[in-house]
This record gives sequence, C-alpha cells and structure tokens, in this order.
Amino acid sequence: MRRVRYFIRVQQLREISLLLILAAVIYFFGREIEDYYTARMYNRIATQVALIAVIAVGQTLVVLTRNIDLSVGSIVGFTAFYLGDQLSKNPNIDLETAVAIAVGVGATMGLVNGLIVAYGRVPSIVVTLGTLAIYRGLLVEYSGSQSIQFRQLPDWIKTLPSEVLYENFGLDLRPLPAIAIGVMLVFQVVLLYTIFGRRLYAIGSSPEAAELAGIPSRRMIMLAFVISGALSGLGGFMYLARIGTITTDAARGLELQVVAAVVVGGVNIFGGSGTVFGAFIGVILISTIELSLIRMQINEFWKDALLGAFIMVAVLIDTFIMGWLRALWSRTELRRASSVQKVQSI
Amino acid sequence: MNKLRFLILVTVILAVILPGVSAQDGDPIVAEPGQELNMVLLPKTLGNAVFDQAHEGAMEAHEELENPGELIFNAPTPDNAIPGQIEIIESAITQEVDAIMISANDYEQLLPSTQSAMEAGITVVTWDSPVAPEGEALFIAQVDFDETGQVMADMALSILGEEGGEFAILSATPDASNQNAWIEALQTVLEEDDTYEALELVDIVYGNDDPDDSYNEALGLIDSYPDLQLIMAPTTVGIAAAAKAMFDEGLCSEIAVSGLGLPAEMQEFTELGCAPQFALWSFTDLGYLTYYVTYLLATGAMEAEEGVTFEAGRMGTYTIEADPTREDALRVLMGPFSVYTEENIDEWAMDEEEMDEEEGEGDEEGEMEEEATEESDAG
Repeated sequence: MRRVRYFIRVQQLREISLLLILAAVIYFFGREIEDYYTARMYNRIATQVALIAVIAVGQTLVVLTRNIDLSVGSIVGFTAFYLGDQLSKNPNIDLETAVAIAVGVGATMGLVNGLIVAYGRVPSIVVTLGTLAIYRGLLVEYSGSQSIQFRQLPDWIKTLPSEVLYENFGLDLRPLPAIAIGVMLVFQVVLLYTIFGRRLYAIGSSPEAAELAGIPSRRMIMLAFVISGALSGLGGFMYLARIGTITTDAARGLELQVVAAVVVGGVNIFGGSGTVFGAFIGVILISTIELSLIRMQINEFWKDALLGAFIMVAVLIDTFIMGWLRALWSRTELRRASSVQKVQSI
Repeated sequence: MNKLRFLILVTVILAVILPGVSAQDGDPIVAEPGQELNMVLLPKTLGNAVFDQAHEGAMEAHEELENPGELIFNAPTPDNAIPGQIEIIESAITQEVDAIMISANDYEQLLPSTQSAMEAGITVVTWDSPVAPEGEALFIAQVDFDETGQVMADMALSILGEEGGEFAILSATPDASNQNAWIEALQTVLEEDDTYEALELVDIVYGNDDPDDSYNEALGLIDSYPDLQLIMAPTTVGIAAAAKAMFDEGLCSEIAVSGLGLPAEMQEFTELGCAPQFALWSFTDLGYLTYYVTYLLATGAMEAEEGVTFEAGRMGTYTIEADPTREDALRVLMGPFSVYTEENIDEWAMDEEEMDEEEGEGDEEGEMEEEATEESDAG
C-alpha cells in the first residue's frame, strides 16, 4: 500500500475514486438486473458514452479556464443538420470530408463564442446562453422546417455506427466509441504535457497570476472555445450517424448532460483543476446509471428523479472517498517530508 | 280560423322548421371563392415536418379558393411552446386578422387568448389538438382516437401473425394526452376482442419524443424482453428512432417496428424490413380541410352547428358533429388512416416530393428551400 501511495500522485486520486464508484454502481445494478454482465450491455453503454464524451472533452477545456460553453447542444444540432443536408445533396462526400465539414462548422461557431468571451470580456455564461438560442435559431431558419431523412443519407454513414473495428469476447469496438476514446487520449496528453494544456490550468487557477506571468490568456481562452466548438461539430457528425433522422429539435438539452458529466467527473466548475480522463469517467458513470435505470423498468415519472438521486449519491460518496484518500496520502507526504528533514538534520 | 291567420301560422311553422331541415338534408354548403380573408395557421411548434405538410395543404386550399388575403404561417419554438402560442394569438388580434387555425399546445392555458380572439370577431378553429370547447368554433379531428387503437392492433396482428407474440409500446411523454388516449384505445381493443388474444402487451416505455432517449428505450426493451417481437411507437419521433436502433443492431429480421410514422422518414426502414407496416393520416389533407372549414365559417357561409354539411374541395363532403370525446364540443372528423407497407410506400413518398415541387412555384419565399429539397430528393 505504501508503495502504491508513492506511485500515484494526489491529483490522480479523483480518477481512482471515480473508478471505485463506477465499479460499485456496476456491482449494484449487476445484482438488481438479470443478465446484466453481457456484451450487449457493454455495447449499449459504449455507444451511448461516445457522443457525450467527445463533447465533454471540449467542455472540460473551457471549464478549466473558469468559463462554460452552454451552446454545445445547438452546435451539435446545427452541424448534424447542415452535414446531413450537404450529404443528401452531394452523396459523393466521403468520410474524411464529412468529418472535416462538421469540425469546420463547429469550430467556426466556437470561434464566435471565443472571440466574444475573450476579447469582448462578456461572461461566458451570458455569451453562450445567447449563442445557444442563436445557433438553434439558425438551424430552424436553415432547415425551412424540413427534416433530414434517413433515406437521403449515403450508405456509408448509415452503416457506420454498427460497423465493428475490432471484436473480442463479443465486446465490439465500434467507430463512434473509438472516436471518443481517441479524442479523450489526445486531449489527456495535450492537457498534461503541452504548454497550451498547462496554461489552461494556470489561467483557471489564478487569472491574475497567469496574466502577470505573461500567459496570453485571451488567446488561450478563445482557443479553448474553438476546440469545444470543433469537438461539438464532431459530435454533430456522430449524432447524424447515430440518429439518422434529424429535426430542428436535434440534441436539444445536450449541454446539461455534458456539463453534468464534466462536473461529476471532478472538473472544478471554478476552473483550474480536473482532467479529461475524469470527465470521461463521469460520462461513463452517468450513462451507465441512465441505461441501467431503463433496464430496471422503473416508473417513468420516477426515472429522472432517480437518475438525479443516483448522481448525487455518487458525488457524495466520491467526496467521502476523496477525503479519506487525501488523508492517507497527506500522511505519506508528511512521512516523506519528515524523513527528508531527518536526513537533513543528520 | 280565417285563411290569413292560417297562412301566417303555416309560415311561422315553416320558418322555424325549414332551416333545420335544410341543414340536415339539404345540399352541402359550397364555398364561394375569391373572398378576402387574412388567416393565421398556428401549429404547435416550428421545425416539425408534419406541420410543414399541414401548411402545404392549407396553401393548396388558399390558392384554390383564390383568397386575395394573406395566409400567415407562424409557430413558437419548442422550448417556448405555450407562451409562444399565446403571443402569436395576441398579435393576431391586434393585426385584426379574420381567422386563426391553431393546433393547441395546451387544452386550458390557451383558453383566455382564444376566447378574446373570438370576442374580437375572429374565427378560431382548432386542428390536430383542440382547446376547451368555449375557446373554439370547432375542432378538426384527424382520426377517431378509438380508430387509432384499432389500426395499431390490426398492424400488430398482421405483423405477428396468428400465433401472436410479445410486443411493447414506445410512446412520447408519459403525460402526452394524444398518445395516452391512443394507447388506452389499443388496450381496450386487445381486451375486448378475441381476435387479438395472442398479442401480449408486455410494457409501455417513454422516449419523451427525444430521438436519443427513444433510441435507448427501444434497445432497453429488447434487452429486457428476450422474446419481444414488435415495438409499437405511436409517435413519429419514436418510430424512426426505434427503427434506426434495430437497423444499427442488425435486428430488423427479428424485431419489427410499427406505429405512427411519416412516410418520407420511414420509407427506407420499410423497404429494409425494419418497419414492415405503419400508419398515419395525411397532414397535408388535415391542413387543407382545416382551411376549407375556416374559410366557410369566417366568410359566414356556414355556422358551426351540429349536423351542418359542407363540401371541402377535392376531399368531398363532411358533416359537423358532436365530439364524442369532449362535452359540448363540435368536431369535423377527417379520417381515415393510411397504412403504409412495402407495396405502397414508394408512391406515397413520391407524392410528397411532387407536392414539394408544386409549392416551389407558388411561393417565392420558400423557393430557396424548396430547391434544396428538390435537389436532395433527386440525390
């Protein structure tokens, strides 16, 4: 145990605590639901996690800088519709181009958010609440109250969600979850090891100090919003592939799910701490609870309340475990420090 | 009794009886084209394909009746549904329009505003979803709620066959009044008619008319009930999401999806066998009929009274009747259902496309979008 404590840093405790909770949740539902530990259930959760996870990664970057991006649901909806419309007009568009279009449109919308927040000095909650409505309005206008129909889409996107890239013991790795895992890994590395990533933490920890240290805060914040928009655009592509029929109502309310997952995943809403990996586990935790509740056949009127209660209990236990682990670790630190002192005194 | 007094008596009696007689048995009332009316078509929300089709139907009637006035199409966004409708009604009153055709988001809450519209002399007709009777002239009902249950039971039987099997319902929200009435009607049919004895309704779940939720609920159903053979979704959002879920899981040959769906959205799923049968009424026709009734009422050619018979252009003759589902209310029942299968889905989807093209010619504002649709349809 002591060895373990030397290898794991205090900052990583959050993820460990979340993983413990996730294991407990899965154990609980495994006892309540027959045939719970099946490849099928895993595949369900994996597909459900994929879309929210990709957007949650972008949201994490924004939240780290003490900002919030509430327009993600509308960006997902708009890009899904726009891309669907383009694909139905030009069926020759291939996968790469489609993703590029989606990411490009999303990034542009994120840029607008970022410019106003960073250079206009308007609180991000106000800006993105505004663009939440504006982007949705754009979608309604652009759509002319038509919908994108499944039959209009090219074949490759119709079958994309059900393709299997790799299979083991009936556990499929499908393209959408693969995208999500890829995005998560890339940004985990970016946050931990690049200058850009470390600067985001610095800005969120203390904006004044970051400013004094010469960090180009505005540009960094703008960039975080652009990335959030771009990943939401990618999410729009995934939404189109998964749902197939897109109306102007697409992905409405998604922002709340994303923000909830990010916060449950241990990203501090006041900026400066949290990781992409944590947010990813947050998404898995919420999706697991959500899909398991569907399996439990609970009265519809109680389902949302129960989901909320489960999340709250999870967060409470998480706080408890965190406190306990922190205490353990700080004792280790103390011992380490005192042994260093001893050495020095000798 | 002298002749004069006798004559007066006869005249009075005739005068009292005759209008009733003529309304009961006389020729149906026919609209006189070319009268100027400004009318508002107010569906539940923007961005729903079915309401756009209702708009197309209303525009068709608008042109047919050569109304030199305006047909205004306006609706709130989904997150502002009820207050949005109230606002639009209030502004229609200030603009002094002649008629409002509304698919109401709420049975009670819109009442004050539709009543003040009626006090201002505006003809208020509801369609698709009514308000309480005191706030409307009458209601254009798409289909009989009981018929919806019957049609769903018939489709389930024809998909599952004589030996029957397990099926589940994927509805909209738990408090959606339309869906609940239809499900209740379906349950009544299943209970009372021995023909459907082999059909076993195992569960009712709710996808909240959200594609993502509906998709997950559909998958939850097949995980919870290994012997499930059919998912019945009496909502256009639910049926499309459920069909996509079965398609993604490669389960179309094992589990069928049925219910109420839009031909254009369901065409491919029907051809692939994921949704072998589904039903819907034509929203285009509903819009057309609503416009005709409203035109007749607003021009004063017809009174909203029980038993009045009128002609609604290409759709033929209809009669105003007492609404059996609501007290002191009048309705015009459109009906019947169209059931779509692999055999006829093609022509229906084609019909809709043609309609799009026709509209493109008449409506300059819509031309850009119509072009987009034409292109996309060609592709």
